[in-house]
Amino acid sequence: MFNRVKNLQLSVIKQMEIRAAKYPDVISLAQGIPSFDTPACIKRRVERALRAGAVAKYSLSPGLPELREMIEISLAKENMFYDWQKEIIATAGSIEGITASVLAVSDPGDEIILPSPTYVSYKEVINLAGCTPIFVPLNEDKGWSFELDKFEKAITPKTKAILFCNPNNPTGTIYDREQLTGLAELAKKHNLFIISDEVYKDFIYGSSEKIFSLAELPEIRARVIRVFSFSKSHAMTGWRIGFIHSDESVIKEILKVHDCLVTCAPVISQYAAMGALEMGEGDVANFKKHYNRRRSLICSRLDKLNKYLHYIKPNSAYFVFPKILNNSDSVALALELLDKVQVAVVPGIAFGPNGEGHIRLSFGRTEAHINIAFDRLEKFFGL
Amino acid sequence: MKMILKQFLKYYLKFITKIVLLIHRPLIISVTGSTNEFFVKNEIKRHLEEAHYDLRSNPKNFNTEIGLPLAILNLSSGYNSYKNWLPIIWQAFMSLFKLKFPKILVLGLGIDKRGDMKYLMSLVRPKIAIITDITQRYIESFSDMDDLVGEYKRFVELIGENGYLILNYDNQRIKKLAEFTKADIIPFGLEKKAPSLDNYWLGGVTEKTINGQTVIVTNDKETKQYSINRFGEHHVYALLIGLIVKKIILNLK
Repeated sequence: MFNRVKNLQLSVIKQMEIRAAKYPDVISLAQGIPSFDTPACIKRRVERALRAGAVAKYSLSPGLPELREMIEISLAKENMFYDWQKEIIATAGSIEGITASVLAVSDPGDEIILPSPTYVSYKEVINLAGCTPIFVPLNEDKGWSFELDKFEKAITPKTKAILFCNPNNPTGTIYDREQLTGLAELAKKHNLFIISDEVYKDFIYGSSEKIFSLAELPEIRARVIRVFSFSKSHAMTGWRIGFIHSDESVIKEILKVHDCLVTCAPVISQYAAMGALEMGEGDVANFKKHYNRRRSLICSRLDKLNKYLHYIKPNSAYFVFPKILNNSDSVALALELLDKVQVAVVPGIAFGPNGEGHIRLSFGRTEAHINIAFDRLEKFFGL
Repeated sequence: MKMILKQFLKYYLKFITKIVLLIHRPLIISVTGSTNEFFVKNEIKRHLEEAHYDLRSNPKNFNTEIGLPLAILNLSSGYNSYKNWLPIIWQAFMSLFKLKFPKILVLGLGIDKRGDMKYLMSLVRPKIAIITDITQRYIESFSDMDDLVGEYKRFVELIGENGYLILNYDNQRIKKLAEFTKADIIPFGLEKKAPSLDNYWLGGVTEKTINGQTVIVTNDKETKQYSINRFGEHHVYALLIGLIVKKIILNLK
């Protein structure tokens, strides 16, 4: 009984949230939820679809044609060329797209490579598929970058794919073109798929305006599955809507799994996604401005705690992943912070073995919340 | 209040737009259909810009009762903000006095309820008109498929006998619409027609590569090969339409 799920765990982030919910005055910097509400233009688009009676029925399994056509248009603006009819699937958030992709490209017993630290739920998806996650450490001293030789050493005859998020959660690292094309070469050499989760690609700070995606390279389009979600970019975590795209030969296989899992992405949310693509650009820019301010705030507050926490300034997303000085047990610290000062953070071990000794702090929360949380952290550390 | 503003904008913009079109008399190319409007407009633009024509087209969402006149006048939208609409209302008025205006307008016409087409065609009268496809997309606001197709029937009826109607003959509903117009018809499709059709533009993908598709285009006069760096049949349709429009425009010169 329950053999398939006996080794699965509810993600540590969600466990922390459940635990934190017991404290009425808790300030959570744990979950990666934007503090913003879904933009009004998106709600208006949904209201229009509701009034027209357009949301009650299933859509086609890959999604509403008008949404997928818009996705093709938006991808083309980012130098990615995919056929909306055969190469794009609207998914129930990114995690459903990732799950369908992993299930489609792997067989039980295969191995899937993950950088460490990386997003917590990948490991569980891989376990669910009956595969083994193989962690490859990122180099903290080089700003949490890839080391290709370590990836190559981790490849075995059982390896089927490399799964990563770019920008990386929890470190906020952007993998550059050179690192990514090196990874693509490995994928070609060893006949692997690359699953690239790019849900934070709209929140890039500093000089770089746009991340490079391997989905831009035509020569490896049949190996790359790119995942995107509207959850973070348009403050739509509750809507559960995203999409994946790849070459027709790959998408037609993933579509079978997607159909088994959800039939189609929620139709009401597909209309919301249309609103996001049609009119949400200004809101994304506005969110980015706020996150950039909050990044400065959280970094300045962390500077005051430099005897206890050492951080690398994130270039993207809305997380900072400081190292705990003089203490390597991230779970113990996270629980202590929750119990003593009611600040919820995510222990670094949740993101893979290389995440131990760190905690993840989200600056997706408001500036007021960040300030209260850090006032409490300063109290905790005796400042 | 919102409804009053919307009605005011609708008729105010229509009034200004009609005067501007009367003054400048651009050649109007209209693209309509359930799908592929964006790519078709882009393809037409690409061909005409290569031939150095001065043109303007509407952005994707600017294809309805308020969006279309804004696009013709080259104005942005105030969306849901009263404050944002004030300068736009003024700029619209000032459009009456502008001397410069493009020679060609490439305009998508979007319909999502009965009567939309009649209204849009009261704003513009295209010389070249295209129906890309008719599917069940947007059918929610219509009683049935006949009701939806009725909008397109209105469209073809209003194209004058000096006009050109470019129709997707792979779609049986569109093919039947040819009976309701006096315009010159130029059919296109990806399926061979038997018996063969006069003036038919046939497209076919011969090869899919990592960089796109190789397409063979055949008409009464010639067969030519093209490479397009996009994937999907809809880009082949867009290519055919772009080539037909270019040919018509060059002949009109």
